[in-house]
Amino acid sequence: MNEQIYRLNCYVENKPGVLARIVGLISGRGYNIQTLNVGPTEDGTVSRMKIDILGTEKVVEQIILQLRNQVNVIEVTSRRM
Amino acid sequence: MNQNAKRTGAQALVESLAKAGTEVLFGYPGGQALDIFNCLTDAKFPFVLGRHEQGCVHMADGYARSTGKPGVCLVTSGPGATNTITGLATANIDGIPLIVITGQVPMSLIGTDAFQEADTTGVARGVSKHCFLVQSADEIPEIVAEAFYIATHGKPGPVVIDIPKNCQQALTSAQYPERVSLRAYHPESAATSAQMNRLAKLINEAERPVIYAGGGVIASGAAKDVATLAHRAGIPVATTLMGLGSFDERDPLSLRMAGMHGTPAANWAMNDADLIIALGVRFSDRVTGKISKYAPKARIVHVDCDPASIGKNVSVALGIVADVKDVLTTVLSRVKSATHPEWTSKIDGWKKSHPVTWSQMHPNVIMPQAVMEAIDKATGGRAVMVTDVGQHQMWAAQHFRYSIPRHFLTSGGMGTMGFGIPAAIGAAIARPDHKTVAVCGDGGAQMTFEEVVVAVEHKLPVTFVVINNGCLGMVRQWQELFYGKNYSGSILTVRGRAANERLEQDLKYDYLPDFVKLAEAHGAEAYRVIDPAKLDATIARAVRSKKTTVVEVIVEPRANVYPMIPAGKPVSEMVFK
Repeated sequence: MNEQIYRLNCYVENKPGVLARIVGLISGRGYNIQTLNVGPTEDGTVSRMKIDILGTEKVVEQIILQLRNQVNVIEVTSRRM
Repeated sequence: MNQNAKRTGAQALVESLAKAGTEVLFGYPGGQALDIFNCLTDAKFPFVLGRHEQGCVHMADGYARSTGKPGVCLVTSGPGATNTITGLATANIDGIPLIVITGQVPMSLIGTDAFQEADTTGVARGVSKHCFLVQSADEIPEIVAEAFYIATHGKPGPVVIDIPKNCQQALTSAQYPERVSLRAYHPESAATSAQMNRLAKLINEAERPVIYAGGGVIASGAAKDVATLAHRAGIPVATTLMGLGSFDERDPLSLRMAGMHGTPAANWAMNDADLIIALGVRFSDRVTGKISKYAPKARIVHVDCDPASIGKNVSVALGIVADVKDVLTTVLSRVKSATHPEWTSKIDGWKKSHPVTWSQMHPNVIMPQAVMEAIDKATGGRAVMVTDVGQHQMWAAQHFRYSIPRHFLTSGGMGTMGFGIPAAIGAAIARPDHKTVAVCGDGGAQMTFEEVVVAVEHKLPVTFVVINNGCLGMVRQWQELFYGKNYSGSILTVRGRAANERLEQDLKYDYLPDFVKLAEAHGAEAYRVIDPAKLDATIARAVRSKKTTVVEVIVEPRANVYPMIPAGKPVSEMVFK
């Protein structure tokens, strides 16, 4: 159970409540967000979120799958830092 | 209608709900929903007034579980909205499509701690599939269409639409869209041909296969396809609690329910299998027990519409994200006709040596399991059985033979006490062609008994059976088995309470309420049975009645649910008594 920092790169619809849903999904599992960076993309209706979390590979995979299930999430990728 | 004609947001909402297919609306009014209620009298669908918002959501849930269509519910802001949270969580974990519309204070007052203001979407977010906070009347028709789409596509679930009062009042000419297109949400997924070939190969090569069918089979309408596959390839079928009814339990290939209180045959077959074909299940901890010891000899194929569900709890040899029915109809042509005589005779041996059974503890006291058998007998096994949560829920699962999808409605994942009575009302409204029987414990019945008046008002011939053991039976059972018989907080009678809860013993009654009087006060026909000899006749009489009936059955309080695999333990630690 090796905990490592993963950076999640999320492209989401720029709508109210989206950030709260994503952050809630992660914090609700007891995981702490280390860094959070939200900003616009060239397409004003899409935001990009960079989220660094400390977790095991299995948990992070599960979080990514749950994030992809969200109605306003367009794409999620991740890499180990 | 003139495309440019304006009407209020509330009118647009009611019109959109009708266009989305709403057949009945459950709900409870309040200040911030009044504009919507004002238009309901002109709506194309009837309104059913519950008595508590939790009851209203469970009614919509019962409607959804028995039809597969989204249940729709309307409540006011603040406490109205927060009272729906338990119902949302119940539907969310079981994947039940709901639309819950909540009134909200006007946008100008949001964030000011206004009267009956709550951050509804904030509170509901963690227990719903999606939440909308309407910002303008113009959005309402589109949001309604999107909400119904989201509720019913992918893994179904509850969707909340929070509508500030000013948006209900504002004028709009926005029309209900002809089709929904969501930019980011595309849950449809199909199996690849390679996955299908691999699945067929695994099935054709298996020597000890088991099909493990869950609620997803029922949601996808795939029960017939499961039966076809099972019969063609000679595969025994176990179900989850949520999957009861997805395979005829009277079929020789049925292993019945698996899990903590499942049949020994189902659990031992999974433990011994070389292939588990898991269809629309979550691998809940209530089924797997100790995860490292679960199905040690099996390769697991997991078919589910939810990508997050595959590999979440158990590692799988083959995961297929797709609709169960689509997968089964495609794979069938590649599956060879087969039987596994050695395997099925081993299983038949387990069924004979370890049936799920019970025995009388005292000759004059009714055993709760006998009540389920009496209901099965009185309804020919064809009733829509709705349960509450606890021991009676497990006995209802064990001692009634299910054969029809959507005929066993239960709060599986959330285990919500108080679910049974209102869910049965929703089911009875949805399916007037079927007899609905709700089985509740005395604990759960007291949580939502007020809804019985709704059944009476609507002349629903529902039979509510209250299994009264004077205690919170499942809690009491765990305390007996795992907490040194320290019955803290679980005894409802005056006698027998723990020292810190001791009550004066000179009360007129040992236990309140008197359910017969309570039922009569709610306008229902009521019966009480104490004598085992009168059980069958009383249940049969109540079930035949055209009125709403309540049957209080005084049962053996010491009865426990067996077999049982204690939480977190492997199958080998199954206890039988």
